[in-house]
Amino acid sequence: MPELAQGRLAPDEPTAARPGPPSLKLAPPRASWSRSEDVGTAAMIAATWGLLVVVSALHRGDFLSRQTLLSVTFTMAIVGVLAVGQALVAMSGGILDLSVQTALILPAWVAVSLLARGVNILLVILAALAAGGAWGLLNALIIVFGKLNPVIVTLGTNFAGAAVLNILFQSAQTPISSGLAKWGSGTFLALPNIFWPMVAIVALAGYFVPRSRAGRHMVAVGGNPQAARTRGISLRKTRFSVFVASGILSGCAALLFAASNLNFVPNDGSTFLLPTLASVIVAGIALSGGVGNLWMILLSVGLLSTVPTSFAFFGFSDTWQMVPPGVILVIAVSIDGYRRARSRR
Amino acid sequence: MNHPTVGVVAAGADEQSNGAWGKARASLSGAVGSIGITLVAVLIVGGLWVGGSFFSRSNLSIIGSNVTVPLLVGTLSGFALLAGVVDLSIGSNAGFCAAVFAYLGLHGWGGWQAAGVVVVLSLVVGAVNAIAVVGFGANSIAATLGMLTVLRGLSYVICGTGGGLEKLIPGLYSFTNRQLGPFPDIFLLTILVVVLATVLAMRGRVGWHIRAVGGDERAALRAGISVVRARWGVFLLSGLGAGLGGILYEGQLGGATNLLGTGLEFQVYAALMIGGYSILRGGVGNPAGGAMGLLVVAGVTDIIDVKAINTYYTDVIVGVLLVLVVLLDRLRGGDAYE
Repeated sequence: MPELAQGRLAPDEPTAARPGPPSLKLAPPRASWSRSEDVGTAAMIAATWGLLVVVSALHRGDFLSRQTLLSVTFTMAIVGVLAVGQALVAMSGGILDLSVQTALILPAWVAVSLLARGVNILLVILAALAAGGAWGLLNALIIVFGKLNPVIVTLGTNFAGAAVLNILFQSAQTPISSGLAKWGSGTFLALPNIFWPMVAIVALAGYFVPRSRAGRHMVAVGGNPQAARTRGISLRKTRFSVFVASGILSGCAALLFAASNLNFVPNDGSTFLLPTLASVIVAGIALSGGVGNLWMILLSVGLLSTVPTSFAFFGFSDTWQMVPPGVILVIAVSIDGYRRARSRR
Repeated sequence: MNHPTVGVVAAGADEQSNGAWGKARASLSGAVGSIGITLVAVLIVGGLWVGGSFFSRSNLSIIGSNVTVPLLVGTLSGFALLAGVVDLSIGSNAGFCAAVFAYLGLHGWGGWQAAGVVVVLSLVVGAVNAIAVVGFGANSIAATLGMLTVLRGLSYVICGTGGGLEKLIPGLYSFTNRQLGPFPDIFLLTILVVVLATVLAMRGRVGWHIRAVGGDERAALRAGISVVRARWGVFLLSGLGAGLGGILYEGQLGGATNLLGTGLEFQVYAALMIGGYSILRGGVGNPAGGAMGLLVVAGVTDIIDVKAINTYYTDVIVGVLLVLVVLLDRLRGGDAYE
């Protein structure tokens, strides 16, 4: 599995790690991150993932089963989509979006409420995406017009947003007979249905961000906002589009969430913040902006989603499941920090 | 809230040694001034809306015992913010320490020995954070978020399938419940810690070094201040605060659950930011202002409790207040984000 994904990770074209035209190379440490760094990161994640799979399989042969594959790909789906949104925010210099909980639960609640009223599924999907986009827009409005740091703004809006969701509803149910619920439990090409939209989203973002104008502008703003502005890129427009896009992506994630979690409470969303951030950081996407290859998310999410299953095969009980992702995050950010410090020299 | 001072700190090494006293005084009066007004406003709203019972002995005692752990944890982790790093692991560290304490108590350890082990563990947590952030240069928010998860995970492991451990440690329980006048002893002791911390942060050489490191790392280096030592120190202090907070939690509750301390870090940092700290740049804020921020949040929480309003409204208010305060701070000349 890792080998397969790794094949995708050596695109011939320049990647997001290169913020485009030479005039932008005003931030030397960032510009020095190039494709070879990407390949290094990819190889490292793939090697860790491969090692984990091999060790687990040697410990217990039945690890290499269809059940494991299903469980890993199932876990990957929602986190993967959220990670793409988070990665866009980080690459554009928005640092972190801490409002993952509200961004996920608000559209999911909108979707299942409409489904319960028998609204057409296409409208439900549009409404969920719109709800996600609206949440992103709210964050962007405060960030852009208040000129406030996204970390604090999203900390504050999530505080308020999650509380409002808790006031609005205690628990929500996806109607079992709805098309969404049926689709969510189905499989396609032997993998869960909800896995495929995630792959498509990573692929689209991974392909278009380094190649489209908007995508290159976004990365340029993240790498060096002043230089980007002198080149005539609007910081405001970029911030707005990044946060709205990230919100729409969380709307997508919310649909996958509602399709696979038929009964949820508002606080269920809070468990997604950490794996999402961990996936972005492990993928080598710098929190300082301007650097990152979105394809890497497939590998990092895959690795992080395999850990809990493998842990279970080693006989650790459920109570242990939070420890390894945390350890991985600490190690990954340490490596990230070490490499940044080295490239600065 | 105290931007003139930030300007000085950020301006460069040359001005470092000048005006440290003035800086201290200005930031104390600035931050304390605006948060003080907010605190008075909360007290007035409490007095008018809840009535005289807001200031009753029993209500003050409830506020005092609820705010003690956040106050202690927040005061010590505020030093990390001053030095320009964030320790998000404080909440689960406190919960983890409480769980370890209860576990050791259940396995026949004496109170003092168990407390010693817990304090050492909390320092180890601080040291691991320091190794990642100071040693390797990891982003402190991300690294300590990882630590947050590790410790929460370990709390689950320690508390086991039942999800909680019950162990009343008689001496500790009575210590945490003793009162002097309307306030619990531990609240008054924590206020003493706040006073000492304020003096240390704003008047002492150590505090000046910490603020200089947070204000401008390179300038501090050039002025001969050890950035590494300052940041190691604040991570250890932050860990220690969480450890002591965990012990008090255990004492107050007579046990620990695997969820104890969840979200404490966000509550504490929101309150500290309301009180004049910043989680994004060091060198601003002071323990007295932070303590008032925590008291404001505690006051709001209590009013909402007494009025039997859905407790989630506290979070709504805190969230809105947080954004407003940061906006106010920016309008007064804080860093603009573009």
